[in-house]
Amino acid sequence: MMDQIRYIAPEISLLCFALIVIVLDLFIKPKKVLPVIAVAGSFVALLAVLMLWGVPVTDVFNKMLAVDQFGLFFKALILVSLVLVILASNRYVLKFEKFQGEFYALLMLSAIGLMLLVSAINLITIYVALELSSISLYVLVSFLKDKQSSEAGLKYLILGAVASAILLYGMALIFGTTGNTCLTCIADYVKGMPAASLAGSPVLLIGLVLLISGFGFKIASVPFQMWVPDVYEGAPTPITAYLSVASKAAGFAVIARILLTAFGMPAWLHNDWAMIIAVLAVLTMTVGNIVALVQTNIKRLFGYSSIAQAGYLMVGLAAMGMAAQADSTIRSGLIFFLFSYTLTNLGAFIAIIAISNKINSDNIDDYSGMAKRSPLLATGLTICLVSLTGLPPTAGLIAKIYIFSGAVDQGLLWLVIIAVINSCISAFYYFKVVKVMWMGEPVNNDEVTSTWPEWLALGFCCLAVVVIGIIPGAFMAITQNAAKIFGI
Amino acid sequence: MLEQYGYVGILLIIAVGFTITIPLLPKLLQLIGLIPHKKNPTKSGQYECGMQTIGKNWVQFNFRYYFFAVLFVLLDMLTIFLYTWAVNIKELGIGGLVAVGVFLVILTIGYLYAWRKGALQWK
Amino acid sequence: MLSVGLDQFLVLSAVLFCIGLFGVLTQRNVIKIIMCVEIMLNAVNITLIAFSRYVTPVILTGQLFAIFVMVVAAAEVAVGIAIIFAAYRNRESVDIENFNILKW
Repeated sequence: MMDQIRYIAPEISLLCFALIVIVLDLFIKPKKVLPVIAVAGSFVALLAVLMLWGVPVTDVFNKMLAVDQFGLFFKALILVSLVLVILASNRYVLKFEKFQGEFYALLMLSAIGLMLLVSAINLITIYVALELSSISLYVLVSFLKDKQSSEAGLKYLILGAVASAILLYGMALIFGTTGNTCLTCIADYVKGMPAASLAGSPVLLIGLVLLISGFGFKIASVPFQMWVPDVYEGAPTPITAYLSVASKAAGFAVIARILLTAFGMPAWLHNDWAMIIAVLAVLTMTVGNIVALVQTNIKRLFGYSSIAQAGYLMVGLAAMGMAAQADSTIRSGLIFFLFSYTLTNLGAFIAIIAISNKINSDNIDDYSGMAKRSPLLATGLTICLVSLTGLPPTAGLIAKIYIFSGAVDQGLLWLVIIAVINSCISAFYYFKVVKVMWMGEPVNNDEVTSTWPEWLALGFCCLAVVVIGIIPGAFMAITQNAAKIFGI
Repeated sequence: MLEQYGYVGILLIIAVGFTITIPLLPKLLQLIGLIPHKKNPTKSGQYECGMQTIGKNWVQFNFRYYFFAVLFVLLDMLTIFLYTWAVNIKELGIGGLVAVGVFLVILTIGYLYAWRKGALQWK
Repeated sequence: MLSVGLDQFLVLSAVLFCIGLFGVLTQRNVIKIIMCVEIMLNAVNITLIAFSRYVTPVILTGQLFAIFVMVVAAAEVAVGIAIIFAAYRNRESVDIENFNILKW
């Protein structure tokens, strides 16, 4: 057991740094050093992830965790978004100056939970990792302790707890039917069942449906999306950013892993759940896009936009389900989209954080004339919005082409048509923000300034979005490598 | 199988009969004059002995109890894991010892946090 | 004598789970909602332990799972009550109807 510790070196190193942050926060006065330690810890963990990249696929701790490129890729993605969120909250933390230590420590703890979640291959570890990240996020969402934030935290807590109870019931039923909690053992059992008795096994199928519902909450798919706009609006903006990317990416990673590993085998079974996901995808993107059209608060707008993006991601998940036997090119569409979405959305949120630090408002009308008050921030936000819409020369376009062409190959043309129509609708509200920023008259001529960590984070995101948009080949190779483990 | 439910039926009848008769018994005995009937305030109070009750029964507890409750829950969880470790202490060997040690260190940091933040003080 | 098997436990836990879910959907007091979530989690524990006893009597995976569920549930309640405190201080109420700043 001890020799396997090195496989979870990223999590352990991040945990050590989180504990250091907590203890230091108790004993020292100057808080400036805390974000430095947090970022350093994330980089050490990132280094550990990169060092593990080459190792052969294996499972550790009695099939509790897997070490594979899929998990490592998402770990790296989570760590990158953790670093960017910490950098971006550089000025925001002054709103709760006394509690900076807790803020960074909880962020890191939730990142550990997400990192364990993406590599978990046992229902027990999946549940514990999910709760580790969720419970930290409940606290972070209500961190401001004002009316809005505590209300958002309360809603997130209640709905999250109910979702996890439902998820757990699904897990218990799957465990009861198959007698196992490890995903590969479940897969072996499901493969071994005669088709007739599998179709006639309501307990297993109910378990599967409950499982999808429970994760539907995490990835914010309709009809489990009610919490998203409220929580996004009320939470501290850096946490909103973190929720919309890291938590969502990990949710998609784990749901893809469960569905493909444990229920990927009899052809009709994976076609069935792929169809469920496809129908949910239509609902998710339509609801997200249509309600987003009438939003006036930018955080709420991004809440609905992230629901819509979850819909596109579910198109990829459905294609993955249909393509369980095909090569890894199609299966990597989801991963590539998550990659580009994470950087794009994070970039947009970093710009929003920087702007709202100055103007203290989240109303879209207050963004009027932002191009004159801070051209660089407005440019950054515009690049990210263009990418979210899916226009050249950005990562969003490549990701959408990639994910939709994969779905068309798998005979989901109807789904892709709906998704493209939805993308056109989304252009309306994304460009509403752009128009307000560039065409609107400035409310006043105060310059909107920002600090170098914010510049660094925003610059990194925008650069990545454009670079991926222009030379996507190298990144596609990485995501295809990550998708390889689901080959059959 | 069916006659097994008969036992449940009998149990049910006894239970319902018992709960109905017992509260009615004093009234019955009163009616036939076996027990005296004298009202007095102490007798009709909620408790026949001890202190007089003061105030309403919907009292808000001081929220500081909450901190102690949480710290207690922490110990509770500690017991769960220590117990499962203790019953298998031989098989788990040195690896288990190290794991529990790490667990305890993390918990201690939790208590350290509570102590430094003043959660252990009643102020 | 009476024999109690897997089915009885599963029905019991399903009923408990539904009671919990019903409570979550209908109760207005936040504390009560948290209590109902606890009922749901404990219903799951009954399922897990019943399956562990009747389906895999030799392997204790289900019981292990139940232990983790208990621990996580305790952590969730501890955090939940803290968040309810924060919300209560802001508006002197734990009624879910009063949490209505954020909508549409």
